[in-house]
Amino acid sequence: MKINGVTIDDTFAEAFPMKATRIIITAMSLKWAYMAANSIRGFASSVIACGIEGDIERELLPEETPDGRPGISVMMFAMSKKDLDKHVPTRVGQSVMTTATTACYAGIHSEDTISLGKSLRYFGDGYQISKVINRRRFWRIPVMHGEFICEETTGIVPAIGGGNFLVLAKTSRHGLAACEKAVEAIKKVPGVITAFPGGVVGSGSKVGSKYKFLGASTNEAYCPTLKGQVKSELTEEIGSVLEIVIDGLTEKSINDAMRIGIKEICKFGTKKGIYRVSAGNYGGNLGPYHFHLRNLLK
Amino acid sequence: MKGMIFTLSFKPRFALDLSPLIPERMQSMTQAEIKRIQLDYGKGKLAVEKAFKIKSAKNNNIEFRRSTDKLIRIGRNMSKGTIIIKGDVGDYVGQSMKGGTIIVNGNAGSLMGCAMSEGYIQVNGNVGDYLGGALAGEIEGMSDGFICIYGNAGNCIGDRMRRGMIVIEGSAGNYCGSRMHAGTIIVLDRAGEHVGFSMRRGTIVLAKRPRHIAATFRSCGNLKMQFLRLLFKQIANMGKQYDIFKKIDPEVHRYAGDLAYKGKGEILILQPILESIKPGTKSA
Repeated sequence: MKINGVTIDDTFAEAFPMKATRIIITAMSLKWAYMAANSIRGFASSVIACGIEGDIERELLPEETPDGRPGISVMMFAMSKKDLDKHVPTRVGQSVMTTATTACYAGIHSEDTISLGKSLRYFGDGYQISKVINRRRFWRIPVMHGEFICEETTGIVPAIGGGNFLVLAKTSRHGLAACEKAVEAIKKVPGVITAFPGGVVGSGSKVGSKYKFLGASTNEAYCPTLKGQVKSELTEEIGSVLEIVIDGLTEKSINDAMRIGIKEICKFGTKKGIYRVSAGNYGGNLGPYHFHLRNLLK
Repeated sequence: MKGMIFTLSFKPRFALDLSPLIPERMQSMTQAEIKRIQLDYGKGKLAVEKAFKIKSAKNNNIEFRRSTDKLIRIGRNMSKGTIIIKGDVGDYVGQSMKGGTIIVNGNAGSLMGCAMSEGYIQVNGNVGDYLGGALAGEIEGMSDGFICIYGNAGNCIGDRMRRGMIVIEGSAGNYCGSRMHAGTIIVLDRAGEHVGFSMRRGTIVLAKRPRHIAATFRSCGNLKMQFLRLLFKQIANMGKQYDIFKKIDPEVHRYAGDLAYKGKGEILILQPILESIKPGTKSA
């Protein structure tokens, strides 16, 4: 299969079940909401070492937020509820509560929840105030800028992590130009995030390593500098491989995001240095969700 | 609204207790069975059929017509459905309510919504004392739910209230929020004396500064309360009748108290009192 001269490999992306939550950060202005959102999504590129994967989902208009101020929705994914419960309140405490004028609310309402203000309220040192409004409990924590308002819990839902595709290009410059456009397009799909910096992975990994203490290591089959040295997946003309990893709330949202992303990539074509699109999988043993590139582009 | 319509067919001289007439109970009953329900009437009993003319349609809605202030305990323990009251009504409306909606198109007596734990009450008129308060001998008053009064309210609003919200578009009497444990009371006109007397926690929002604030409340100064943005937006989202809350600025003068009772409560007086905002017109 070829689109605009770009070869689509007959392979599939292998994804696995995760747990996800969404939080809404509001502030006096969108600028300050972004300050908090950028902080909370920092160092949240991969569960391999960060504990969770997170990114900004989209901007919210004042009428979409609980307190009528501009806001940002941030989605966070982890391998288990326990991981989310461990990392999300910590990040909200250090990244959102510390940002001036912010407030933090649940972005998903489900039976299964993790704590937000439930654990952060103790920062109020006894001066915190609980308010139940329309069956939702909020904590008012007195802080130096005024009050930090934080919903007690946020809902979590089953989700999918690890949807991906690889962009095989002539150089990093060619690959990155295409990937930037693809990430822009993927951001418009609701319910998905691309957690890595800029949405693009420059150092995709494989499971395991020759070193026993390491769970993941470089994917040498796609490293251009090792083409002649290992059993490579790369042909002579390919000088750079970039990966776009997508986490989403549903299979459909990942399908849509991958299709839209790959189509954007293919628009660049071979003339602009994009030669192949492939995907990362582990022989089907890692995750139950398989996104076949050729099927989703039909 | 189609449902069971009870039209009062006589002028009661004593209190007539309508607590058996709630939607969930009558749903499984035939009309003949409903007619035979015995109601407490003064010291005696009175069958429903002797007190009301009944028009029946099976659903969760009940309407009381030609109601008077002798009809008491309407909606007691109800957990679902809607009760609409046309005319005035007596005490204990929505007592221990666990869900559903009560709308009163008239004035209501005292102890409305006392000990309620869920549900919605709207009164397009005035109410008496102890709105959302506690039953005699009980430690806590209403523990959740929402009460909106479009007229004025009597004394001791939210007495011993534990949670939930009371909005009064008119004025409130003396001892508003007395002995509150927690919860929120909003008064969009003037409140009487001794606001927040002995309150432990909770929030009382006043649109107009009362003549007197007790010495056991300490000023925390003029502040923009972020929490009020959230509160007002959430109330405004409940329906068009609450559009007034879209116009209210969250700037208040905050008083913390009652310091004689740990002082974790607060009185928030809206600034600059919003004299320009007239309480909204009532809606059905």
